Amino acid sequence: MRAVRRRGHRTLRVGIVCPYSFDAPGGVQFHVRDLAEALQAAGHEVSVLAPSSDDTELPGVVTAAGRAVPVPYNGSVARLTFGPLTATRVRRWLEGGIDGSPFDIVHLHEPMVPSLSMIALWQATEPVVATFHTSQVRSRALQVAYPLVRQSLEKIAARIAVSEDARRTLVDHLGGDAVVIPNGVYTQVFATSPRRPEWTGTPDAPTIAFLGRLDEPRKGLGVLVQAIPTILDRVPGARFLVAGRGNGIVAETRETLGELASSVEFLGAVSDADKAALLASADLYVAPQTGGESFGIVLVEAMSAGSVVVASDLGAFQRVLDDGAAGALFRTGDPGDLATTVLDLLADPARRDAYRAHAAQWVQRFDWSGVTEQVLAVYEMTLDADHAIAGDVMGRFMGLFPRRAGGDA
Amino acid sequence: MSWSEIALVALGALVVALLLAWRGASRVDRLHRKVAASRIALDAQLVRRASAAVELATSGALDPASAVLVADAAYAASDAGAVTSPAAALKMDGLDSARERAESGLTATLREAFGSPEAVHDLRAGPGGEVLEGLAAAWYRVTLARRFHNEAVAQTRRVRRLWYVRLFHLAGRAPMPRTVELDDALPHGLEPAGG
Repeated sequence: MRAVRRRGHRTLRVGIVCPYSFDAPGGVQFHVRDLAEALQAAGHEVSVLAPSSDDTELPGVVTAAGRAVPVPYNGSVARLTFGPLTATRVRRWLEGGIDGSPFDIVHLHEPMVPSLSMIALWQATEPVVATFHTSQVRSRALQVAYPLVRQSLEKIAARIAVSEDARRTLVDHLGGDAVVIPNGVYTQVFATSPRRPEWTGTPDAPTIAFLGRLDEPRKGLGVLVQAIPTILDRVPGARFLVAGRGNGIVAETRETLGELASSVEFLGAVSDADKAALLASADLYVAPQTGGESFGIVLVEAMSAGSVVVASDLGAFQRVLDDGAAGALFRTGDPGDLATTVLDLLADPARRDAYRAHAAQWVQRFDWSGVTEQVLAVYEMTLDADHAIAGDVMGRFMGLFPRRAGGDA
Repeated sequence: MSWSEIALVALGALVVALLLAWRGASRVDRLHRKVAASRIALDAQLVRRASAAVELATSGALDPASAVLVADAAYAASDAGAVTSPAAALKMDGLDSARERAESGLTATLREAFGSPEAVHDLRAGPGGEVLEGLAAAWYRVTLARRFHNEAVAQTRRVRRLWYVRLFHLAGRAPMPRTVELDDALPHGLEPAGG
């Protein structure tokens, strides 16, 4: 087998499964979309299976696996797809492969989320690679279902975690290990994004950006809002650009701030292009999250765009900011410390430049070009192992046990 | 309870036991295959890394003392164990300790030979850049392959501890698989997409 080295240059047919619906975009969906694009750019054939309603416009590679229904799961409401009809669709997709040829690799995302990926894992007979995104607390339901899925989990030939925190979650809750391959970012898209004059700060009126769901307390808008009076006290011209949707929070925040509210602009949900422009234009990007973050992709995007990042000192953020060398850290959930950090930075352009210069170098490791190489290396190793066994003794030795085509029960 | 009822219950129990045994056996079998396959893949990458190291040593990119030491460590690694045949992989005994020592030795020697991340950066830019890329790629794949292999070993050991697997001797005479323990940490500057 050594004579035919594949070295990743062979065209692979990759099937990717995303458990979350493309109707409501989120981190995992973006990751899947970008990975598919990056793999295609590297010359591979890709098909993505994801839940989606019929009227949502999908990227060309995505096969819709049916409507996702909102179900309460693990303390919040998730839009998931499941049931016998879904199982049939997954089976058909797996059998269909790409243009009738079977997949070389099936890459599942979040196989422990009770949705498409879990079903696909149960059915797959192809070599399976799995990526774990969340760093979540263990759910009780999962503990109940664990004996049922454990055997499925043994089918996974290679596990990837998107961050050190996600890896630790995996190790603690499922046992075993995973290789860390970070989330990818198209750094160039952000680095070359045009600025918007209305969002660009001046020395007297610097702009400070926030991005994230407003009504999700863990995103930390409240921490920023509490820091705003102190910041305005010293820099009265400062403007706060708050992007993201959230019901009722806008009015509430305006009320809290009183007359200071005129310094805060609520942009609502922004498009990808607007997000890049916002991050390219703003002087500072504030990430006041109080928990539940496993990676911090927006921080990478902000760094790529040239914004200086001020983030809470969560483990994930420390790592993504190179332990504070690529951006400033403040004590998680502490508005006073946030205000001090922001004011120090606004008063010190040299320090901002230093952060920016380090960040520009540092983000290269998160660029899709390198990340895709690493994912392809994992595919290659998985296939190596698979071929090693399929070709040689096993045919003779294990011929007694044909591969089962249904589920693994 | 009449005799026929007892017989029926006994038959039921037998069927359940057989079912458990059959399912357990195919599960153990699948895991054994996974262990053997990932072991072969790891071996292939270790061989590739050693040959890339020899290539680097002969490319003239390193100073002569480093070159001799790297070549020596690489030959030691490739001599320490024959290339894994599928039959050997099925013994699932990890790599033998001499091989593990030799591969760790190669890692340590290479790390010393590279020195600082800046030196690696210069090497990459120099004439030996392509050889170095080959070495880095093989080395990264070694770390992947070893993790995946050890993962398979851990899963297998877990399943083989199950009571019905032990009761029915479902693992047959296959030895308990061992993990592969060696130092394969990539030196700074050689990590993939390191900037």
